[in-house]
Amino acid sequence: MSTLQLWGQYLPQFLAGLVVSLQLTGAALVLALALGTLLVLARTGRIRILAAIATGYVEVFRAVPVLVLLFTAYYSLAQLGLRLPGFWAGVVALGAFYGTLYGEDMRSGLQSVDPGQREAAVALGLSNGAVMRRVVLPQAFLAFLPPGTNELSNLIKDTSLVLTIGVTDLMFQANAAAAATFQPMDMFLLAGLVYFAFYILLSRILARWELNVQRRRS
Amino acid sequence: MSSDVVVDIQGLTKRFGPRTVFEDISFQVHRSEVVAVIGPSGAGKSTFIRCINYLHPFEAGRIRVLDHELVGGGGPPSKATLRQIRMQVGMAFQTFNLFPHLTALGNVMLGPMETKRVPASEARDKAMALLTSVGLADRAEAYPRRLSGGEQQRVAICRALAMDPEVMLFDEPTSMLDPEMVGEVLGTIRGLAAQGMTLILVTHEMQFAKEVADTVVVMADGRVVETGPARDVLEHPTSERSRTFLTRVLKPLEAAGDGQASGPGATTALGGDHP
Amino acid sequence: MHVVALYWQAIVDGGGVDLELTAIAVAVSVVVGILAAVGRIYGGKLLGGAITVYVEIIRGLPPILQLFIIYFGLSQFQINLSSFSAGLLWLVLYGVGYAVEIFRAGIEAVSVGQREAADALGLTRVQALRRIILPQAWMVMLPSLMTFLVLQVKNTTLLYLVGIADIMYQARLGTSATEQPAIMYGMAAIAYLIINLTLSRIGSTLERRQALYR
Ligand SMILES: Nc1ncnc2c1ncn2[C@@H]1O[C@H](COP(=O)(O)OP(=O)(O)O)[C@@H](O)[C@H]1O
Ligand SMILES: [Mg+2]
Repeated sequence: MSTLQLWGQYLPQFLAGLVVSLQLTGAALVLALALGTLLVLARTGRIRILAAIATGYVEVFRAVPVLVLLFTAYYSLAQLGLRLPGFWAGVVALGAFYGTLYGEDMRSGLQSVDPGQREAAVALGLSNGAVMRRVVLPQAFLAFLPPGTNELSNLIKDTSLVLTIGVTDLMFQANAAAAATFQPMDMFLLAGLVYFAFYILLSRILARWELNVQRRRS
Repeated sequence: MSSDVVVDIQGLTKRFGPRTVFEDISFQVHRSEVVAVIGPSGAGKSTFIRCINYLHPFEAGRIRVLDHELVGGGGPPSKATLRQIRMQVGMAFQTFNLFPHLTALGNVMLGPMETKRVPASEARDKAMALLTSVGLADRAEAYPRRLSGGEQQRVAICRALAMDPEVMLFDEPTSMLDPEMVGEVLGTIRGLAAQGMTLILVTHEMQFAKEVADTVVVMADGRVVETGPARDVLEHPTSERSRTFLTRVLKPLEAAGDGQASGPGATTALGGDHP
Repeated sequence: MHVVALYWQAIVDGGGVDLELTAIAVAVSVVVGILAAVGRIYGGKLLGGAITVYVEIIRGLPPILQLFIIYFGLSQFQINLSSFSAGLLWLVLYGVGYAVEIFRAGIEAVSVGQREAADALGLTRVQALRRIILPQAWMVMLPSLMTFLVLQVKNTTLLYLVGIADIMYQARLGTSATEQPAIMYGMAAIAYLIINLTLSRIGSTLERRQALYR
C-alpha cells in the first residue's frame, strides 16, 4: 500500500492516541503545578524540616530518569499493594518529576522580582497578602512563563514514555501500526508529523500569549 | 510644643548583625516641618529613614508617629500599628520602585484601593487629580518603562500621596536622575512643603536644602553630628565632622559656578549613593 | 535481600554500558555542537537556517520516536543497524541538537565589546573564538552543559527498548526472573541517583573553581 493510503487509514487511530497523550499532559501538568507550588512554599517557608524534605525531594527526583519513576509507579507500587492503571501511573511519574522543574521555575520567578518592589508595596501599607497578590506574583508570573512553557512542551514529548506500560497514547498507536504494516518508517513519520505539528502549534500559541502578556504591560 | 510633634524619635539604635549603623539618635519633627538629612555616603541616612516606617526593624529606642509607637528590641509591632504607620507615612525611593506591571494611574490607585477599600472610580479620580497636579495627566496610561526618570519619580510621589499621608519620607529622590530632570522633582517636593506637608528628606542637594528645609540633620560615623536650622548648619557648621563634610560637598558646588543645586554641575559633582 | 546482592553486579555492568555510551555521545556532540553553533551564528542564511530546522526537529519530536525511527524505521529501507550503533547514533544526533543551542547561547552571551576588542587586535575569527570568546562562554555554559550531561545519562534509559544491555535492561531482566519490581527498579533508581548526583557534584565544583578566576 502506498504511504499516503496507509496514513489515511491510520490517521484516526493516531488522533485518538493524541487525545490520550493530551489528557495525560493535562493531568500531569495539574499535578506538577500543584506539587511545584507546595515545594516552593516548603522551601521558602520557616519550617526547617519541611524545607529540608522539599530540597531532598527535588535533588532525588531530578536525578532519577522519568522512565524509572514510571516503572516504579506502575510495577513497584503494584507489588507494594497500590495498583495504579497505566494512565494514572503515567500522571504520577510525570507529575512527580515535572513538579520539581516547575517548583524551581516558580522559585526563580519569585526571586527575579526586585526587592524594591516588595519594599515599595509594604511602604504603601499593603497587607502581606496584597503585596503578594498585587505586586510580587504578577511580576513573578512574567518571569515564570518562558521556562514554564518550555517545560510544558517537554512534558508533552515525555508522555510518549507510557508506551512502555501499554497506555494507548500516540506513540503506542504508532508502534502498533509499525508492527502491523511492516512499514515502520512510514508510521513513525506520521506520528512525527502529528507530534511536530502539535509542538509547533503549541509553541506558537504559547509564544503569542507570552508576547501579549508582556505587551499589555509596557 | 509637644502637641504638634508628628514624629518623635528617642534613642534609636540600628545594627546589621554585629555592625552598628547608628546609635542613640533622638529628635523630633513637628507638623509642617521640613527636615533635610545629609551626610556622607554610608553614614546610615537611608537606614535611618527606613526605620521610621519600619522597613527596617531596629535594636533599641522608640519611634512615635502621631499616636502610634514602634519600640526597638522586642518583637515586631502589631499588624494594626504597622498598617497605621505605613498609611500615615508615605515614602519615595531613590530608585522609584514603581510597579512595572501597572500603568502610572494603576500605581497611584493601588494603595487606596487595597488598604482603604476605596472604590475604583473614586481612586481613579483622585489619582488623576494628583497626576495632574504634578503635570503628568497625559502620561496616566503609560507604563513605567515608557516614562523618564523624572516622570517616574513624580508618579512615585503621587503613589505615596494618594494615601493622604501625614509625613513624607524621601530617600535621595533625585540622585538617580539625569541633571535636567532634577529640577522637576525638586519642584514637586517644594510644592508639598509650601502646602504644609511634613517632610523628612535625605538629599545631597545642598542648595535645595538651604532654601526649603527648616532643619538640617547631619549624620556621620553612626551619629547625628549636628542638627539645627538649615541656614545655620549649612553656612556655619559648629561640629568639625560636619565642617569637613560640607566643605567637601560645597567646594565642587561653588566651583560649578551658578550655585544652583539643581544645575548639572552640582548633581554630577556630588553624585548620589548608588544602590 | 540476597536478590540485591545477586543482581547488583548486573546493574553495575549496565551502568558501565550507559556511561560508555554517554561519554562517546557527549564528546562527539560537543565537538559537532561547537561547529554547528558557529555555523548557525556566522554561517549565513542557508547554513544557519538548516541548522535551526535540525534543532527544531530534534526538540520537537519525542526521544522514543527518534530512537525508533533510527532502529526500526530505517529497517524498512534494509538499513539494519545493530542495537549499539542505533543507540549511539541517536544519542549523538539528539546531543548535537541540544549542544548547538548551548554553545550558541554561550557565544552570544560574550559581550559585543569583547568581540570588537578581539577584532581591533587583528585576531582572525577562529583566533578570537578560541582565545577570547569560548574561554568566557565556558563559564556561562557550564551549568547547561552539566544539565545536558545528566539529560543524556537519563536518555540511555530508553536504549533497553532496542536491546542494549543498560541499567534498565538489567532491571527488567531481573524483574522477570524474580518478580520483585520494587527491588529491581529501586536498584536502578539508586544507580542513576549515584551517577547523576556525582555528575552534578563535579559540575558545581567546577563552577566554583571557575568562579575563583573571575
Ligand atoms: N540590608 C543591609 N544589610 C547589611 N548592611 C546594610 C544593609 N543596608 C545598609 N547596610 C550598611 O549600613 C550602612 C549604612 O547604609 P545606608 O543607610 O544605605 O547609608 P547612606 O544612605 O547614608 O549612604 C552601610 O555601611 C551599609 O553597608
Ligand atoms: Mg542611601
